[in-house]
Amino acid sequence: MNRSSIIALVIVAAILAYFLSFGAESTRKLQAGFYKVISPFLSSGSGLKKQITSVSTGLQTLEDLERDNNNLKVENRALKATNQALRDIEHEVNRLRRALAYRERSDFRLVPAEIVTRDSSTWWRTVTINRGKVDQIEPDMPVVTDEGLVGKTTTVADNISIVLLVSDENCRVACSVEGTREQGIVSGERVTGSVSPLLDLNFLSKQADVRTGAKVYTSGVGGVFPSGLLVGSVQSFKVRELDGQARITPAVDLAHLEDVFVVTGRK
Amino acid sequence: MIFFVILLVLTFLAQIVEIFIPPLDWMYNAHIYIVPVIVFYGAIALPFPLVMALAFFAGFLLDALTVQVLGPRVEISFGWSILLYAVLAAIMHGLRPLFIRGRWEVHCVMSGLCTSAILLSQYLMIAFRRGSLVFTREAWWQIGGPGVIAMIMAPLAFWILHTLARATRNPYLPDPETYE
Repeated sequence: MNRSSIIALVIVAAILAYFLSFGAESTRKLQAGFYKVISPFLSSGSGLKKQITSVSTGLQTLEDLERDNNNLKVENRALKATNQALRDIEHEVNRLRRALAYRERSDFRLVPAEIVTRDSSTWWRTVTINRGKVDQIEPDMPVVTDEGLVGKTTTVADNISIVLLVSDENCRVACSVEGTREQGIVSGERVTGSVSPLLDLNFLSKQADVRTGAKVYTSGVGGVFPSGLLVGSVQSFKVRELDGQARITPAVDLAHLEDVFVVTGRK
Repeated sequence: MIFFVILLVLTFLAQIVEIFIPPLDWMYNAHIYIVPVIVFYGAIALPFPLVMALAFFAGFLLDALTVQVLGPRVEISFGWSILLYAVLAAIMHGLRPLFIRGRWEVHCVMSGLCTSAILLSQYLMIAFRRGSLVFTREAWWQIGGPGVIAMIMAPLAFWILHTLARATRNPYLPDPETYE
């Protein structure tokens, strides 16, 4: 090994040792700084992905139309394509109208945000949103939709934040089961092969009368999540050696999130 | 040096692209990883100091994008991916004599194995931090799947990068005549 290789090794080792000594706050700052730098790339990438998806969906529709109506004239095709575009716009308008209505009737102060990236790593269930410090977002703020709980913010940069989804094993939420006095902790699975994973509600009593379909709400214990946010509904219940465990279907379709709200406080 | 800069840019772009590639639901949600293939090509086409620099850059990007800060603790400390990339890239660099002899297939297979090794190491660290080691079928697919995909991608990626290296006259390209 020559001298330059040894110098390179020493430099890498020294910087590595410096990074490994970072605590949570230093790591958060470094990560936030990095996200600040790459946020234009992420925003452009997100826009590009939407365009590509839109084009591919359009092509698929045309293929279907061609198969089903191969005797239609070009003019008819154009009209149907226009209709499809209008339907897309209508869907978008309805979605935004629903979000706006939820924001107005909610008891919380909500900051609307759009998903920029989702599930970028294998072992952590996270999404990034296009809101950050400049929008008064801070770490550990709940993130919701009109359907229920999505997760909480972790690292917050100026214009972008990471949201840890409720389906991640590390996102633990104190919850109660509708119609019972049962309380437990909801968390996701470590590894899941499904796009829409189920959640586990642990630490219920073994005698819990938890019925299929019962709604599960945040209990407000722990301080991060306010009480009364819908988390999901019970799919099954089983008694384990020390406690009872319910499997929960999340209220929110986490795989197809588009718009979310960050809860910044109560009104 | 030009080729090294190109590899840095490609690594950055590949890392951004990876974020937008959805997981493969038919492969138990396995992700596609492009960056390791680029880094491991760099490991056989660059001198050792530049290999370390490239590994450092790739590890830094991965950590900056994926490290989880949960309240007062960090799940896997910032820097572990740098260490993983550096160790694996050094192993690949050690196999450079085979590359010089034109035996690319070993490096293609190794790219896949090393990609899976990165994921396996991450998973083991998470298991250690969370206190239970569970290997389900999904976990194996999510560790092995990206490795298989990297192995399949590697020949084409290596060929493109090798062409790029020739076009930029990378001075460290293998020359069987001068190999000792």
